[in-house]
Amino acid sequence: MVTTKGSFAVEDMKNVQINIGAVVKEEEEWDQPMGPYPKPGVATLRDWDFKIANRYKIFYAPADDTCTLCTYGPCDLTGNIRGACGIDMAGYSGKIVLIACLMGCCAHAAHGRHLYHWCVDKFGDMKFDMGDEILVDSPTYQTIMGSKPRTLKDFNEGLYYLEEQVVQLLAATHTGQESAYIDFESKALHAGMLDLLGMEICDMLQIVAYDMPRGAADAPLIEIGMGTMDQNKGVLIAYGHNLAAGAEAMVYAEANNLWDKVDIGGVCCTAHDLTRIAEGTGHPSLARNLGTKAKVAGAMGWWRKMVRSGVMDTIMVDEQCVFCDVLDDAQKRKIPVIATTDKIMMGLPDRTNDSVDAIVDDLVNFKMPGVAVLDPKKAGEVGIKVAIAVKPKRAEAKAQSLITEEQFKAYLDKCTGCNECAFVCPPHTTISDLIAEAKKGNLEPFSSLYETCVGCARCEQVCPQGIPVMDMYEYANRLYVKNQKFKMRAGRGPARDTEIRAVGAPIVLGTIPGVIALVGCSNYPKGTKECYDMAKEFVDRGYIVVTSGCMAMDMSLYTDADGKTIWEQYPGGFDGRNICNTGSCVSNANIADAAIKVATIFAHRNHRANFDDIADYILSKVGACGVAWGPYSQKAASIATGCNRLGIPVVVQPHSVMYRRSFVGRADKPEDWMVIDARDGKMQQIEPAPEALLYIAESKEEAMVEMAKLCLRPSDNSIGRSIKLTHWCDISMKYCGKLPDDWHIYVRDAKDLPITYKDMMMKELEEKHGWKVDWKAKKFISGPLRPADVSFDPTNLPRKIRAKK
Amino acid sequence: MAAEVKKGIDTTKNAVPFEMAQIPGPEMAKTYLPKVIGAIIKKSKRPLLVVGAELFDDPVMFDKAIEIGKMGIPIAATAHSVKGFVDRGYMNNVYQIGLHPLTSYLRFEDWKGLDGQGQYDAVIFMGIFYKFANGMFSALKHFNRNIKRISIDRYYHVNANMTFGNMAFNPDDYHAAIDELIAAMKK
Repeated sequence: MVTTKGSFAVEDMKNVQINIGAVVKEEEEWDQPMGPYPKPGVATLRDWDFKIANRYKIFYAPADDTCTLCTYGPCDLTGNIRGACGIDMAGYSGKIVLIACLMGCCAHAAHGRHLYHWCVDKFGDMKFDMGDEILVDSPTYQTIMGSKPRTLKDFNEGLYYLEEQVVQLLAATHTGQESAYIDFESKALHAGMLDLLGMEICDMLQIVAYDMPRGAADAPLIEIGMGTMDQNKGVLIAYGHNLAAGAEAMVYAEANNLWDKVDIGGVCCTAHDLTRIAEGTGHPSLARNLGTKAKVAGAMGWWRKMVRSGVMDTIMVDEQCVFCDVLDDAQKRKIPVIATTDKIMMGLPDRTNDSVDAIVDDLVNFKMPGVAVLDPKKAGEVGIKVAIAVKPKRAEAKAQSLITEEQFKAYLDKCTGCNECAFVCPPHTTISDLIAEAKKGNLEPFSSLYETCVGCARCEQVCPQGIPVMDMYEYANRLYVKNQKFKMRAGRGPARDTEIRAVGAPIVLGTIPGVIALVGCSNYPKGTKECYDMAKEFVDRGYIVVTSGCMAMDMSLYTDADGKTIWEQYPGGFDGRNICNTGSCVSNANIADAAIKVATIFAHRNHRANFDDIADYILSKVGACGVAWGPYSQKAASIATGCNRLGIPVVVQPHSVMYRRSFVGRADKPEDWMVIDARDGKMQQIEPAPEALLYIAESKEEAMVEMAKLCLRPSDNSIGRSIKLTHWCDISMKYCGKLPDDWHIYVRDAKDLPITYKDMMMKELEEKHGWKVDWKAKKFISGPLRPADVSFDPTNLPRKIRAKK
Repeated sequence: MAAEVKKGIDTTKNAVPFEMAQIPGPEMAKTYLPKVIGAIIKKSKRPLLVVGAELFDDPVMFDKAIEIGKMGIPIAATAHSVKGFVDRGYMNNVYQIGLHPLTSYLRFEDWKGLDGQGQYDAVIFMGIFYKFANGMFSALKHFNRNIKRISIDRYYHVNANMTFGNMAFNPDDYHAAIDELIAAMKK
């Protein structure tokens, strides 16, 4: 659908002007008819949401018992009683979940709005072109909007739609508006879907405007780790999620041949995006492979460790995931700070309209700890100039970044072992034990727990002795920091259509056992190594493993026996036994996009304005499972919720109980697992697959067992089901020492059984579960829930029943 | 009473949430002595011991869980803790299930339990990551108040009905408290 707008005067009629809101014409080149739900409103997909909620029971774990949102309060809602306004605990919890999802959705949408204006202003309107191998180029946009963007400016329509929906959703959270928890959840699912759209718009804009890789399985290997920052140069750190100012710094350094004087490192998702610049098909104004000149300093969980390491000379922050005390930390170490977006200004003076020289002079001479410069181009130039000029002046402060041996010992002696720190430590590290060992001269515990520390610094705040615990970590690990040098594959962007064609059938039939998407932030229960372990387990087993954000960075910090990172061990395609880094947080959209593309490219489903149809397909047939093993933010809540609405289950870590809401099915209720066979409209009971949509796991081991299980789908053929059961059972045997208690539920035919366990399982089915077995034919006479049927076509949507001719 | 307390471990002290900011509202858990909790568990008609992966950090706790299991109390082995029972050759009444789906089932009055014999009337948490256990207790606190929420973990669990005070940094006292609890159950 193409829309045009305009106004014109009518000849010979004074003061008459006709405004054309939108002239709509069908495009000839899109063979899909308009689907039923273009630009769905708040309640448009409510039926689909209720189908989800009816099967996957909404589960609340309230983080507090009282509501304090209005002046009636505080109201005690303990036991699901009602507050003064009439809302009960379930409704209140749903409201908080919706607000959280809106926070996340808005963070990406506002990011997209900024990028839209910035990119169009900087580069002009550009053709939206993802290259010859990506013709389904904005699947989420097309599925939701029912239109195809042709140029960067066309994304404005998507942003307008998104912004209007967000306002409507936020209005529903006001006291005296929505009250039913199930409708809050429908709205939260809507916010999550909108977030997928916002992320996709962000990534598509920057991929085209900055010529990032378009589905490049061989995207370059780039440097990652604090040790990669060249200490002989001024080190400029760009921290956050919006590449605009960091990219301008790179452009300035390139244009002025300053790379021998400055090193640019990114922290958090800005790092991903800086290292993707100009690695695509060629750009009229950006130097080829400019992105490879930037480095990934590290994930956001390393932030406070990095600040204390003495590595950085100047900090530029943009937006999202920025610790609120950046300025304090930087000021203590005489690191100038430049705030580059209006979302995070930290109380700093707005110097956007001042001359570069004046700003640089003030920062280099420490006349002020930081400035806000909201013009990315000026901010980039200031950042480079300050980093270079302040470096020699910071030599003393840099040397003092690390505490001395004497100070370290003095702090050891100050510790009284009161364990106040352990009471507030997210992973519950007993820091007094580390100190006790260090007093004996053994620093190993300080080192081994360095990666477990999530860098929250609560310990420092509560220590009655004022011990700077993180400084002590830093001292004990100074060599580790210096040597932290690894390789990571740059973000490749979307899956190519050709890749989807190759893997579509194996995914739907189950012969590729699943797609595992490891995404998100750095609040891991037991450290960064768990990212690597999980990725390695599944890529080794032949799953398609995709990653993004800080998780992609943190899994890069480990190597195999040959010294190779996971990116050097495996190819980067969207294929079994491959691992691909899609890019930054907003590149998560490419993962949802890949699932949509399986439905539309492989299965020829019309995705245009057809969200519930596509989600239904994915839920029933695409064995994908998202894993957010370290999420801390509201963005993660909205991303996971968006994936859930699209039919993709997600496993999260135990801290995620703070998100308050999850979706878990009841395997004991057969009526919850009835679907329509689209061939003839008959109802068919299925095994509970996938069993949950949002699952909280306590340990890495539990998570991996569940990830394999959540890749099961009703559409698996026998070979696929056998492969999936093999991996699920193998992982359970490996980490739990036994088969899962409920493996038998998923067996429809003897051919479904894993070859390794076949005889043992058949015996158990007969003896323990009462199945009748024909041992000669190795078949079941009775027992399974349903027969395996390769042409079974499960759906939850009556409109998908094929019309009888 | 005071004399009895001196003989045993006083588990009523340190009634402060192990994660200090976990202050949910007006209804907060009370701390009890091991023998009182042991007696309450013994009186329960359908108790369920729920253990988590922290038992691997203090393996002797597997043996104590098995001792409780041998008294006829079924064990829900959450996370990957079932491996500890497999390794010890005790699987009589041990069920492998995640804490999250287990708590989800516990919300529903019509759930038949892990053994198909009916819903439980008391759940006893032990060896579970604090924040996660706290959240699951919260779910039951609000959405199924018919199940008694008992913590015999080394933390003060604010969303339980009955709990010990914080003993996280006194493993010897904690072990002794569990032994007292087991002894009370055997009486």
